[in-house]
Amino acid sequence: MADFVVGDITLDIDEDGFIQQPEAWNEAIAKALAKTEGVDELTEAHWKVVNYLRDYYLEFGIAPMIRKLCKSTGFKLKEIYELFPSGPAKGACKVAGLPKPTGCV
Amino acid sequence: MRENSRSHKAQVVIDRMGKKLSRQMVGSLVGCVHCGLCTDSCHYVLANPEDPTFAPAYKADRIRRIFKHHYDWTGRFFPWWVKAGTVLTDAELEELKDIAFGKCTNCRRCSLNCPMGVDFATVNRMARGLLVSVGVMPEGVAHVSKDQWEIGNQMGVLKEDYLETLEWMSEELQDEVEDPAAVIPVDQHGCEVVYAINPREVKYDPRSIADAAKIFWAAGEDWTMASEGWDMTNFGLFSGDDDLGGAVARRLYEKVEELGGKRLVISECGHGFRSTRCEGPNWAKYDVGFRMESSIDTMLRYIAEGRIEVDKSRNSLPVTYHDSCNMARSCGVTEEPRELLRQVCADFREMHPNRAENFCCTGGGGAMSMSEYTAQRLTSAKVKAEQLRETGAAVVVTSCHNCVDGLTDLIRHYKLDMKVTQLVNLVAEALVIEERIPAVPAVEVAEVAVLTGRKIVVADDEPDQVIYLKSVLEDHGAEVHTAEDGDAALELSKRLKPDLLTLDLAMPGREVTEIFDILRGQSDLADLKICIITGRPEMRKLIYERMDAPPDGYLDKPVEEEELILAVRKILEIKVH
Repeated sequence: MADFVVGDITLDIDEDGFIQQPEAWNEAIAKALAKTEGVDELTEAHWKVVNYLRDYYLEFGIAPMIRKLCKSTGFKLKEIYELFPSGPAKGACKVAGLPKPTGCV
Repeated sequence: MRENSRSHKAQVVIDRMGKKLSRQMVGSLVGCVHCGLCTDSCHYVLANPEDPTFAPAYKADRIRRIFKHHYDWTGRFFPWWVKAGTVLTDAELEELKDIAFGKCTNCRRCSLNCPMGVDFATVNRMARGLLVSVGVMPEGVAHVSKDQWEIGNQMGVLKEDYLETLEWMSEELQDEVEDPAAVIPVDQHGCEVVYAINPREVKYDPRSIADAAKIFWAAGEDWTMASEGWDMTNFGLFSGDDDLGGAVARRLYEKVEELGGKRLVISECGHGFRSTRCEGPNWAKYDVGFRMESSIDTMLRYIAEGRIEVDKSRNSLPVTYHDSCNMARSCGVTEEPRELLRQVCADFREMHPNRAENFCCTGGGGAMSMSEYTAQRLTSAKVKAEQLRETGAAVVVTSCHNCVDGLTDLIRHYKLDMKVTQLVNLVAEALVIEERIPAVPAVEVAEVAVLTGRKIVVADDEPDQVIYLKSVLEDHGAEVHTAEDGDAALELSKRLKPDLLTLDLAMPGREVTEIFDILRGQSDLADLKICIITGRPEMRKLIYERMDAPPDGYLDKPVEEEELILAVRKILEIKVH
């Protein structure tokens, strides 16, 4: 477990770079996490995805299906991959402060 | 032998070990002579040469010592010599967990290179199973196993979400090919093909589902997906829990039977293929009454039969192939993906070493779900990174979802400029839709007759079979002689010294098993390869449970042309260049 420092906040991140305290997440942290994913600037489109993931996670405690993400944000699957090159599971979920998805990913 | 100071969990592990000791297991537990050959074959060791605790023999000894102490007479008489030892505390079990889960991906490269035939991966899997049975396991493994037990798939995907995703992919496909009939059928009865997938496809990246659907559609296949029992992955293989393995496999088999499917096609997933196709029937104690194949075989067949047309210039980037451990080393699927790649890619280049000698993606054995070992995994991926870099390829293709993630992770870590993809994506990309030619009978004329110069004796008592096998083999250049019973086969083999004998198991005259023993016992026939071709799979064990070396190949009737030639090529180690 390593430390991830953003401004005056210090968070634990796991070995895959996912933060361990989802409740401590904020926009500054999202921006910092995005950099680790090779996304230098979070555009409005990125935020739409991130906010949806975040809200869904807070409500249901899991990451949504990619189907739900595309349907609710209106993005095509291809566009999601353009926004987050490492994909929705590892890229977008990480930036949104979700824990690492379980299973073969 | 109970010692009062021992923890309950440790005692259970010791007791349960006794039930796991099959002859094969004991062979691997006692067979090690510490020669060190495994050391050079393990990617963990090669990437961490200064740390001896990564050596397969060392790791195996941590498990072996418990066996020696509790179950082997040598441990009773001279424990100091055989290094017998027990486990007393939960902390020791945790240490064992860090070895069994953290320092080995069960890739079996050391097993293949062991001159004593020690299969460390089997021993390691047993250790995992024992630890899991007392709840000592990485959190990720626990989570996934629970979902697979309770929800029926490893990512806890609910039925309605799954069905909605299939519908969505149907819509995407219809848009793309402009055919309203292009849909993903669900729960159709009596289909040729039932297609089973990895849950990550449906949960996070359904592009591979759409690509597979496009290929099925283009081939005019009569296919379906199942609304339940569609997860072909199996954490039982990783966790060593045979009960879970059996339950998951059974769910799949029963669904295919219920749908009356003729063939179960397994999407590109190494451990899923091995679990479903090879291990599942044993774990589930299930007599599978339909064919099971990897989607690689399916796609290759469509091309060979002219059911789909592909244009390799559409995939022009230099491509290399990463053999998944479970596919290549454990299931022998090595030539099929290469044959397919040559058809759909303009520039295919080998990675070295390759096939059964390839190095693990470093994410195998469920390692991708165990974050606690990520740093160690990535350090050990150095070997793989070098291997990838040397190919100079821009794209690495693999037939395993686990490898996709393992490779993607290490490519990022080592800053390689490579993309990872799968065969299904390349085939879908190469599909020529507009100028689709109608299905033609499968008359495959090999450009170069691959069996030229090979002498083969075909032994079968059914004239139709003999004619069929003879003509197929001759079409591919072999010199074929035929025998109608075992004695004739024996005589021909002695006289002609063929490269290969294909042997039916039920023929008149002397028992074929007896003939087999004689053939294996002849010193002048030591090089003779034998491939069993039988319509009676129940007789398989008559041949395999003998003292002789097992047959070099085994095929169930009816044998398709392509399958036969591939098997013969594999046995005779003929590569197509």
